[in-house]
Formats: sequence, structure tokens, C-alpha cells
Amino acid sequence: MEALRNTATLWRLHLAVLVITIVSELIGIRKIPIGIGAILLLPLLYAFVFGLLVNPNVVKGARKLIGEREVKAATPLIVIAIMPFIAKFGTTIGPAMDKIIAAGPALLLQELGNLGTIVIAFPIAVWVLRMGREAIGATFSIAREPNIAIIADRYSLKSPEGAGVMGVYVVGTLFGTFAFAIMASLFASFEVFDPRALAMACGVGSGSMMAACSGALASALPEMKDEILALAGASNLLTYATGLYAALFIALPVVEKLYGLCRPGDAAGAPTYAKGE
Amino acid sequence: MSTAVAETSRRPHIDLGQHAVVLVVVSILCLVANTVGAGLPVGAGLVGIVVLYAIVMVGLMLAKWMPFYLPSVAWISLVGIVATLNGVPGSQWVVDQVSNVNFLVLATPCLAYAGLAIAREEIDIAKTSGWRIFIVALFVLLGTYLGSVVIADLMLQWQGI
Repeated sequence: MEALRNTATLWRLHLAVLVITIVSELIGIRKIPIGIGAILLLPLLYAFVFGLLVNPNVVKGARKLIGEREVKAATPLIVIAIMPFIAKFGTTIGPAMDKIIAAGPALLLQELGNLGTIVIAFPIAVWVLRMGREAIGATFSIAREPNIAIIADRYSLKSPEGAGVMGVYVVGTLFGTFAFAIMASLFASFEVFDPRALAMACGVGSGSMMAACSGALASALPEMKDEILALAGASNLLTYATGLYAALFIALPVVEKLYGLCRPGDAAGAPTYAKGE
Repeated sequence: MSTAVAETSRRPHIDLGQHAVVLVVVSILCLVANTVGAGLPVGAGLVGIVVLYAIVMVGLMLAKWMPFYLPSVAWISLVGIVATLNGVPGSQWVVDQVSNVNFLVLATPCLAYAGLAIAREEIDIAKTSGWRIFIVALFVLLGTYLGSVVIADLMLQWQGI
């Protein structure tokens, strides 16, 4: 009864999501060709943007509709709302088990591809943007919840490293689904990489990032839809199993070492905000 | 004793009743999206959604009661896999039912909640960390994705499959 009442008092929030869902689905999938490829706009992307537009923290006028209480209540609902999607993903993995086992070595090793954050993002943070120790927290991982836990445990979230990981977390939360959907559809239209590789890489982030990424990919390559979903889902499951350990025992020590080499004398936990300015 | 306490406090509490109710709301949203967006028949979609609902609830029960900890989404995924594995009794029926639910529409309500959930603190962090962290974050996302794509692609070529 308590649970029913709790849910019922949030009717404005659920009604808003219902209207957003219907409008987003009615607009449907749109393809935008750009010079180097094509971007797919998906209903889930519109739903996110519409959600922001009726969020009172983003658009002040929305306060009449949605209050701070609804905003707070929406956060745990994200995880619950993704559950049927995850269940559906599981059901695409089961029938494709043979293909997944065949792709096993690729699937397992691509988890190490997460270290690509260090290869690409770390040099930009340290040399181009002249960031201090924030760079460690920002670039050792894709900054999802387990990675925040690692930094909180090791440095606390009030440290520069903590500011780095939280910053990337927030940007990832705001734009991660968008970025993954766009990267997937762009890379698919380049036709350089094996679509199965593009699918496996979809599983490296959060559930919603995987949703957006594999959704864009499956829409771009409809004839491979089932295989794409199965591989992305399997990869995401592996990320849950191995990601934390790869980040803790490989990525973080590597970034710390690299930072020590690039900025000798900048001790752990020392405030470095002034340096980059 | 102290480790047992630490173990339970680290493990997020799952209120099955609360989840059961919220998931009904979510399932209705998913059914609407499945009908409006994917244009699939309501009746068949409803059975598919009910099957997914059951998978989610079994996954949540496992997450709550199993002696070791795995995130609930991992359990839900595993239940979905086992229920559809070749050779598991009834797996073909489950596959047939959930085939009436389009996977992409299931993500739409979730992303709507995500847009509505952005709190002032998160906007503040984004503002104070500034444009540099924004650029770094985009390269982090690109680096993770591209790194995984390149390794997976090389491995598939090496395996010759």
C-alpha cells in the first residue's frame, strides 16, 4: 500500500514521461546525412532532450509542472526503467550463445579497450588543457558509478581527482547516451570496422549508453540487429564483471604513473587548481 | 561479524514491493511505446512485456537473496539469458513472446526519466568544472569506444571469423 501511495503521489512525473514517450515515438527514427557519414536521431534521444526541457533545473518555466521532489524521485527511477530493457537484452543473448562463444576472445579482450581513455583523453587533459591532478580522475575510466567508488575510496571526492571523476561522470550522464549513439552511427557509416566490433564496444558504458549505442547501430544495420544486440549485451555484462578490476588494478595505476612522469613533484592530493590557470 | 555488517551495508537495499509497483508503471510506459513507436499489436506486446516483467522480478529476487553480491541489472540479464538458452524448457516460448517487444522503445521512458532527473548539483558541477572537463569527457567517451572497437576488430580479424 505504502509503495502504491508513493508511486501515485508522483503522478505528475510519470504523466510527463508518458507524454514524452508518446511524442518521441511518434517522431520516430530520423536519419541525417552529414558529409562524412550519417547520424541517426532516435526516440530515446528526443526523450532525453524533452526530459531536460520540462526539468525545472534546466528550464525555469517548467517549475509549474515538475517540482524538485519529482526531480529527486526521478533518479532511482532511471535504473528501474532500464530493467525491462536489460531483460530484453538478456533474451537476445541466450539464443545467440554460439556466436558469442565464437567471438569470445574478441569480446574478452575488447574490455581492455577501455584503457583507450588513457591513450586519447589523458594527453589532451595534461598537455593541451593543462589540467592538474583532476586529469587522473577524469581520464582513468569512463567514470560510471563503480569508477567513482574507486576514486572516492582512494582520494575522496573532495580531492582534485574526485572533481575530475565527477566532472566526467556528469558530462557522461548528460551527453553520454547522445555521444554513444552518434559515434556508433558515424562509425557504422564509415564501414571501416567490423559491425560486430562496433557492437561489442557499445557495452563499455552504462546501460543507457549501451541502449543508445546498440540502438543506433541496429538501426543503421537492421540486417544484423539480433547479433548486434547480443554482442552489446554480452559485452555490457562482462563490463560489470571485469570493468571494476581493470580500472582498479590496471587503469588507475597506469594513469598515476603517467601523471608522475609528466608532472614530477606534484604530490598526491595536493591542490593543483591554480597551476592550470 | 563486522565484515558481514559491512557486506550488507555496501549491498544496496532492494524493496521488492516498491520495485514491483514502479515496474508496473514502467511496463505500461513500455507497452505504450511498443504500440505507438514500433506499431506492434497490443495483445502480443502485453504478453511480451509481462514475460519481461517476470524476468526482472526474478532477477531482483536473486539480487536481494543470493549470498553473494552482483548488481541487479547483471542478475536480470542472466535470468534473461538462461530463460532463452537453447535446450532450457520453454525457452522457445519465451523467445517468441519477447519478440513482440521492440528493444529500442524500452529505452525511451528510461531516457525521459534521465532528462527529468538532472539536479541542480549536477548542473553546478558541470559549470564549475568548466569547459575543460567537458572536452576531456568527450575524449574519454571517444577513447573508450574507439579503444574497444579497435581491439575487438583486430581480434575478430585474427580469429578469422
